[in-house]
Amino acid sequence: MIDLSIEVPLAAFTLRVEAALAGRVTAILGPSGSGKTSLLETVAGLRPKARGRVVLDGQILLDDTRRIRLSPERRRVGYVPQDSGLFPHLSALGNVRFGARGGDGGRVEGAIDTLGLRPILSRSPASLSGGERQRVALARALATDPSVLLLDEPLASVDVELKERILPYLLRVREDWRVPMLYVTHNVGEALALADQVLVLRDGGVEASGMPSQLLSSPAMAREVAAGGIENIFVVRVLSHDVAAGVTRLRSQGGLDVAVPLAPSRPPGSTATVAIRAEDVLVAVEPIRGLSARNVYEGRITRLDQTGTDVLVCVDVGGEPAWLARLTPGAVAELQLSHDRHVWLAVKSHSARWV
Amino acid sequence: MLTADERGVLLFTLGIAGLGTLLILPPGVAVALALARYRGPGKGALETLLSLPLVLPPTAVGLFLLEAFSRRTALGAGLAAAGLDVVFTWRGVLVATSVMSFPLLVRSARTAFEEVDPRLVGIARTLGRGPVATFFSVTLPLARRGVLAGVTLAFARALGEFGATVMVAGNIPGRTQTLALAIFHDNQVGRDDRALVLAGVTVALAFVALWTAEWLTRRSARRGEA
Repeated sequence: MIDLSIEVPLAAFTLRVEAALAGRVTAILGPSGSGKTSLLETVAGLRPKARGRVVLDGQILLDDTRRIRLSPERRRVGYVPQDSGLFPHLSALGNVRFGARGGDGGRVEGAIDTLGLRPILSRSPASLSGGERQRVALARALATDPSVLLLDEPLASVDVELKERILPYLLRVREDWRVPMLYVTHNVGEALALADQVLVLRDGGVEASGMPSQLLSSPAMAREVAAGGIENIFVVRVLSHDVAAGVTRLRSQGGLDVAVPLAPSRPPGSTATVAIRAEDVLVAVEPIRGLSARNVYEGRITRLDQTGTDVLVCVDVGGEPAWLARLTPGAVAELQLSHDRHVWLAVKSHSARWV
Repeated sequence: MLTADERGVLLFTLGIAGLGTLLILPPGVAVALALARYRGPGKGALETLLSLPLVLPPTAVGLFLLEAFSRRTALGAGLAAAGLDVVFTWRGVLVATSVMSFPLLVRSARTAFEEVDPRLVGIARTLGRGPVATFFSVTLPLARRGVLAGVTLAFARALGEFGATVMVAGNIPGRTQTLALAIFHDNQVGRDDRALVLAGVTVALAFVALWTAEWLTRRSARRGEA
């Protein structure tokens, strides 16, 4: 639980944020220069000019009326900046160990395993890819036993190379470490999959806040979707490999079944994350017959949100999460799509990507 | 090659330069860090003031030191009372060479500290390290090549110092005579062959020191680009 009531003078404007962040994961969205990074730095104690109040789980980190300003080393925050901020004179392992207080080897080992760093421990930061650096920085932050993780995500566009995306690791951290997170991202799909609260910043103020799915129609989220696209992101378990049909069958935590191209390297029972772009989801108003798509669902429209020039259609097909389909306004008009309309969805197995 | 006396002068010179460099290292690093971090008014004036010994006639610096450490001042009288006479002793050589080489250390170290990304310093703090621990675990390691280059330059400067030393400590064979002073002395008494030998020694020493500093600086520049 983080209580914020802060004013931070910046070059172009003053960042003013009043918010109570109770979620396990709070996604912070907003255009570049809207104050997202400054907000994280204020919580971390790296903004000496910040005024107001920051209370983390009942502990006052900042309260200028009571002249309380904890130095960064006393705040127990795990900060992962956008550029990772790895120490160039230390190896990956040296970086992870840097923050471990009192030589807590267990946490270091655990963080290394959660973030899959074993193969790269001896490498120098300069030789790591952007995604690897971000993982090392996240492990370094986790190893300090933080009360909150502050994560500034640089690689969040849906077009970023999949192996560079940190989302699957964040999902693992969320499940295994139970550390609350403030997560700066541009990726609305990731925010939906990961966060239980969203804070949207614009020009140094809070434009919107609430549950992610409720904010899809907010101008802020619409802007992000229009700029960066949106994916359906599912955390799934591998059910079986159907060699004859050439598909691997997956089931989401919410009971949604998805078939993807045969992936024998993924053992049945293992978990994974798949992403399917909202524009790859077809919507029909009649039962689908004679179509090659391997994933066909029947459901009802729960929302229609204008996002930029497109319409984002949210369809409940019985399992969690709901599907998002990105359509043109023309298609919406022609099919007469509206709230509660009975529809069928078709998704090619090949449009699914392992994240 | 070298006579016993000359070997003594060489060892004395190396010893004074080494000791002086060690003595100025902590304050030099502190001043360099303060200059690198300080953003307030008077920064330029302060930096210029600290660099003055680089361009002033060394004899002028020596004269100031002679005045400061003479028995007419409280400082000089106090030191003399404690049996730590500076003027015309080896301590005078130490003071003169240290003062003359101090700005070289500070300039090189300051540049190195300015190149350390302040964000990394902030991150070290969020990872639980206090300011002092952060300095020794992040700032100094990242600036180490520039600091070492400064140390090497300061050492080389101390080896060759003449003007300030001769003002403060004189040129007393066996007591305050360094290589630079011995060369002058040999030349004055007509022993040009010995002066040349000693000059050759200084060339060798200076070459090694400068080459080391150059190598360290180049390495740090390359690292900066990476």
